[in-house]
Amino acid sequence: MLPPGFAQRMRGLVGTDGVVDRPESLLVYECDGYTLERAAPEAVVLPRTPAEVAQVIRALWKDGVPFVPRGAGTGLSGGTLPVEAPVMVCTSRLQKIESIDIANRRVVAQAGVVNLWVSRAVKDAGLHFAPDPSSQNACTIGGNVAENSGGPHTLKYGVTTNHVLGLELVLPTGEVVQLGGPVEDRPGYDLTGLVVGSEGTLGLVTRATLRLTRVPESYRTFLAVFDSVADASEAVSGIIASGIIPAALEMMDGLILRAVEDAFHAGLPVDAGAVLLIELDGPEAGLPSQSEEVRELCKAQGAVEVRTARDDAERTLLWKARKRAFGAVGRLAPNYCTQDGVVPRTQVPEILRRISATAEKHSLRIGNVFHAGDGNIHPIILFDERNAGEVERVLAAGTEILEACVALGGSVTGEHGIGVEKIAQMPLLFSPEDLHAMATLRSVFDPQRRANPHKLLPDSKVCVEARAPRRQAAM
Amino acid sequence: MSQSLRTSPFEEAVGAEYVAEATAGDAIDGVAPRWVVEPGSVKEVVEVLKVAHQRDLTVIGRGLGRHLTLGNPPRRADVIVSLGRMNRVLAYEPADMTVRVQAGCSLVALGSALHENDQWLPLDPPRAPRTTIGGVLATNLAGPLRASQGTARDLLIGIRTVGPDGTVVSGGGKVVKNVAGYDLPKAHVGALGTLGIIVDATFKVRPRPQHEGALEISCSDGAYAAGLALELRDTCEPFWLQIANDGAPPKPWRVIVGAGGRHEEVVAAVESYRATAEARGALSRTVPNAAEVRRDLADASAQLAHVVLKAATLATRVGAWLDVLETAAVRVGATPRFHADLVCGVIRMSIDSGSAENLGELVAELRPRFEDEGGSLIVERATSTQKEGLSEVGGVWGDPGPGLSLMRGLKEAFDPAGRLAPGRYVGGL
Ligand SMILES: Cc1cc2nc3c(=O)[nH]c(=O)nc-3n(C[C@H](O)[C@H](O)[C@H](O)COP(=O)(O)OP(=O)(O)OC[C@H]3O[C@@H](n4cnc5c(N)ncnc54)[C@H](O)[C@@H]3O)c2cc1C
Repeated sequence: MLPPGFAQRMRGLVGTDGVVDRPESLLVYECDGYTLERAAPEAVVLPRTPAEVAQVIRALWKDGVPFVPRGAGTGLSGGTLPVEAPVMVCTSRLQKIESIDIANRRVVAQAGVVNLWVSRAVKDAGLHFAPDPSSQNACTIGGNVAENSGGPHTLKYGVTTNHVLGLELVLPTGEVVQLGGPVEDRPGYDLTGLVVGSEGTLGLVTRATLRLTRVPESYRTFLAVFDSVADASEAVSGIIASGIIPAALEMMDGLILRAVEDAFHAGLPVDAGAVLLIELDGPEAGLPSQSEEVRELCKAQGAVEVRTARDDAERTLLWKARKRAFGAVGRLAPNYCTQDGVVPRTQVPEILRRISATAEKHSLRIGNVFHAGDGNIHPIILFDERNAGEVERVLAAGTEILEACVALGGSVTGEHGIGVEKIAQMPLLFSPEDLHAMATLRSVFDPQRRANPHKLLPDSKVCVEARAPRRQAAM
Repeated sequence: MSQSLRTSPFEEAVGAEYVAEATAGDAIDGVAPRWVVEPGSVKEVVEVLKVAHQRDLTVIGRGLGRHLTLGNPPRRADVIVSLGRMNRVLAYEPADMTVRVQAGCSLVALGSALHENDQWLPLDPPRAPRTTIGGVLATNLAGPLRASQGTARDLLIGIRTVGPDGTVVSGGGKVVKNVAGYDLPKAHVGALGTLGIIVDATFKVRPRPQHEGALEISCSDGAYAAGLALELRDTCEPFWLQIANDGAPPKPWRVIVGAGGRHEEVVAAVESYRATAEARGALSRTVPNAAEVRRDLADASAQLAHVVLKAATLATRVGAWLDVLETAAVRVGATPRFHADLVCGVIRMSIDSGSAENLGELVAELRPRFEDEGGSLIVERATSTQKEGLSEVGGVWGDPGPGLSLMRGLKEAFDPAGRLAPGRYVGGL
């Protein structure tokens, strides 16, 4: 329960239109992209400026109210699910790109700026913000920082943490700290690096200083068509082993291909077992020979065809098809759930075998569209929540797949985060001492666990019990 | 074997032959430790730290000892934990492009293992042959390659450390992409061993470029060199890009730009750099042995002098700062030499020890000006006497910025008794 007069006081800070507390309006906030669990907050506060964020959080601190930070709500691990945190502080009105320094390749953006806006703002200067999650036209910089998001092109260019140089962080007390900044090498611990990927559990990020990257001079984009997922994954290993680092190396299996083709008519081969979307980029001089090698490598692994995007329009279409694949999946089943495991690259064929065995075992359809070059899988489990017992089977299959990733030497998440979804798997990866060290780190920033409680770390049993009644896994 | 050695508290932990009484050469900035112990396994490191914990002894980790001059003098140094015996490559999976290696393994030893598969860990700190994995992580030193390859933080994917009470903590993992839990490895990069002793680390490795090339351009002064370097950066992403002013007087300024990749890529890049230089009317020459020149540049500042200042700024400010630094150094009677990485905004100024008597004065004058712009000026190398002269002006590090209270919190949380390299880090941590 919120303290009396809470909403009124918040409106005093952020304006009358800055607080959402009518139950029907709160429904929008009851989940993010992870829809298996839902719970609406009691109030959503939408500050207009970083300074207002600090005021809001200071007030929450005084009232003893824990909060959940939220950006665009595209997260896929339930990071924005309110668990014993009645207030959501949403950054969607923090939309300013505050400064652009082309010569030094730096941008300062507020947390609610959408990922793609940054690249658009600096496009004419031939620069971009390299991390490109498939959700980039919706997700926010704050969300990217919180999840340490990746994307297709992070194979060559690195993930969010490699492109964030500084942060403004509002601690759960409301105190504002500046970490890092446009100049590199500030002496001291890499606090910026620790906050990136902390899923909103160390405070709320209000501003980020980002590094810009030059847009490559040239591209070659290929669509390599294979009869089977197994052949395609062998080709992935072959390309990586050859010493070529493609800018992106993405796989879509037959199930996904057909859904995507139905939706976008990109001319994808609907009877293929799998395709690889391969992109090489860099100075033009190096591309012809690398292209030839990639073609040869694909052919050697049994590619039935290797198409080259003829022009920018075709390249854009292929990428659109890939980046919107999740959306297209909506055509296949009323519900879907995406996993985000990682395996060592050489284990991609093996994990795909295991995924298909899992699908069979639980009588589920599972599609695969993923960052193959990194070994970062995204099995998409299709289901219909109205069917009795199906949600349980989905959860069981998801868990099995993640356990298989760990058994193969990998991780349970490559870019979507732990959130609430994968807390139970943390002990598979980390010892009690490791987890204790993480809890210790958290206590430095947030000793009272006011910022996004019960996320990322398995904390106490209390929380699991308290959460159970909220779980409305749409059954 | 001397009496005190036999009664050393660490004998049981590592065996008598791996405990030695410290000698004068083991002193760190004039602070003499009592013992040097050489554990051979993680288990032994744990035992050593437990003993240190029970006896309230301070611990400083050491690789091959080449970079211990970085940092403030420790407040105390009871025992040095030398990781020299823990020098193995634990797991190298060329096809996965990852490698797990013990902290005492030298960069060169690791490099030759990777070389067999045409891969490398592109970290090039000064004195690479005498630098261990633990050392390069703890100091976060980097060389010219940083411009395109990043620093240790960008390549490290997993770490294992032993805390001050002997607790083993792992962070990260062994896959190239992983966001499970906090990114604990980042806490240890550049932390000088103040949060834990690093025992092993996992990196992503990269393919070695098949070819390298470089172009050298003579310049009239530092500002001109920086202006040209900025243009070169925008011509074609350089593999590395250095401004140097390091010869014998009259010390010509030069810009050296490196290209890496396939033969045809390298040729095209070098040609485009040449065109940029020519458009400015500058004289350029192709450097025949690019990789060697690159390695020499990595070593240059450390080879040249006993005092090295490292300034960090924005790319566009490099030229102006070179000028300011030179004027200030000349005023205190020093002959400065410069190596700057324009892409990263890092300037190293080397001055000979004799003329560095006024180091404190120089730092006092320059440091606030860098810090006012959000940059920094650290003393990367100096003698212990010179460091003493810095105590009034913020030590070797200067102001770590507004994050200091969180940094202090981190240190207190991970090393509550302050027994890991106490005093060497920022803010007296
Ligand atoms: C179709 C689709 C495709 C996707 N593709 C990718 C992909 O390719 N790669 C990838 O990595 N992810 C992908 N995602 C996942 C998601 O888009 C990213 O995790 C994204 O960064 C989340 O941003 P957001 O603004 O939506 O954050 P939200 O979902 O609102 O929040 C995510 C987490 O961040 C925290 N948070 C948000 N803002 C802040 C802040 N300012 N300060 C502190 N904490 C904050 C929240 O508390 C929560 O824990 C995809 C999602 C969808 C729906």
